[in-house]
Amino acid sequence: MNCEEATELMDGYLDGELDPITGQTIEQHLRECDKCNQAYKAHALLIRSISDRTPYYKAPAGLRERIQSSLREEIAERSPQSVSRDILSLFRSKQSERQAVPFGTQWSWLALAATIVLAAVIASNLVPRLQTPGADQLLATQLIASHVRSLMANHLTDVASSDQHTVKPWLDAKLDFAPAVADLGSEGFPLIGGRLDYLDNRPVAALVYQRRKHFINLFVWPAESGSTGVDKRITRQGYQLLHWVDSDFNYWAVSDVSDNDLQAFKQVFEKQLPRR
Amino acid sequence: MAAPLKAEYPSVSEDFDSSAKIVKFVALKKPKEEGAAQEQELASFEALMLPHLDAAQNLAKWLLRNEQDAQDVVQEAYLRALKSFSGFHGSNGRAWLLTIVRNTSYTLMKKNRAADLTTTFDEEKHATDHESVNPAALLERTEDAELVREAMDHLAAEFREILVLRHLEGLSYKEIADIAQIPPGTVMSRLARARAKLKECLAARIGKEK
Repeated sequence: MNCEEATELMDGYLDGELDPITGQTIEQHLRECDKCNQAYKAHALLIRSISDRTPYYKAPAGLRERIQSSLREEIAERSPQSVSRDILSLFRSKQSERQAVPFGTQWSWLALAATIVLAAVIASNLVPRLQTPGADQLLATQLIASHVRSLMANHLTDVASSDQHTVKPWLDAKLDFAPAVADLGSEGFPLIGGRLDYLDNRPVAALVYQRRKHFINLFVWPAESGSTGVDKRITRQGYQLLHWVDSDFNYWAVSDVSDNDLQAFKQVFEKQLPRR
Repeated sequence: MAAPLKAEYPSVSEDFDSSAKIVKFVALKKPKEEGAAQEQELASFEALMLPHLDAAQNLAKWLLRNEQDAQDVVQEAYLRALKSFSGFHGSNGRAWLLTIVRNTSYTLMKKNRAADLTTTFDEEKHATDHESVNPAALLERTEDAELVREAMDHLAAEFREILVLRHLEGLSYKEIADIAQIPPGTVMSRLARARAKLKECLAARIGKEK
């Protein structure tokens, strides 16, 4: 490496953005070339002072509140968007128009219906977009609903057992995939059982764990190949949702335990996961 | 059977067509469900995006160099972000929001003054021989935050932007490339030029005060 090349790559090197081999080549050059080494030290100082001395403009008091209230207005003004096509076709039928009119007391409903028709007509132009309205958001709603239902309807488990060797074969027999099941009782998350559920248009496994008096539903289904494992955390209606992906499966943990507990649960679960 | 029904539900009539019933049911029920879903969407949007309010304000203020414009842009950017929130599937909320803040800022800058987009750093005027300035003195002086701010403000928007994203937000080259919409290979060279310009600008300022 010559001085010109080293100078060109200096910023990337100082920012830690070079691949290790190029980084080593630069280090080699810096050891050999005093001029570049001096320039390197000066540049490192400059970079550090820019980071240290450049003022950071924080949001002023009140901006957050103004934004929140404008977001609320936006949501309030928004016409119902996810009115689907079948409802649209219903509204288009002449019959509904003819039938709706005689109800004098129903004018407000009529106005509401008109709004929906309008929204639906507008929305019909946007149907491709609307078919995936915030996949995660939609899924989160489904997940919470399923979690709540499981606690409400006394149908927490289809197979109640703290024995992973009972729960796993049961699930394997019912599903077209074989989720990993581990009892985490020794870590403070005892396995309660398993359940079949239906989410995101497919049957999924729900593993039920307990944390003190709280339940954690862990929904598992196969991951698409090539999906990347970036965790997602969603807090909604007092429920915590934590999503992660490993090489085989999608995981969504839903519970009313704290975010920390849920993170701990994930760590413990991944640690106990039998290596395949 | 029909009479008590009528009494209880005056709007239900015998000859009411079944599809119309569904329509009415929809009209009665949909807005409430929609409302709840939208509330949920808003809650999740706020949980993901409001933590990055300072980052949004910081970038907007550095780009626009004006407090009121910055606040307007940040507010507008949050509204835009909410509108396209259904398209956000990633996990990097800050980078996603900053992209919108950046684009909203540029829109306003284009409207205000085209000059903002080109360099306002007059290289002729500032072509002092900064090599002659003692680097130690330069760095000592850069402890003066006001001086850095003035020097930064004299840089072109593309340089201010990249310096803020790297030095104040600590973003990776990849994230910077996404936000500034430039090829990843360009980030290092642009950052190097931005730092060199800032150094020139600082040197010129120090030279002038002497």
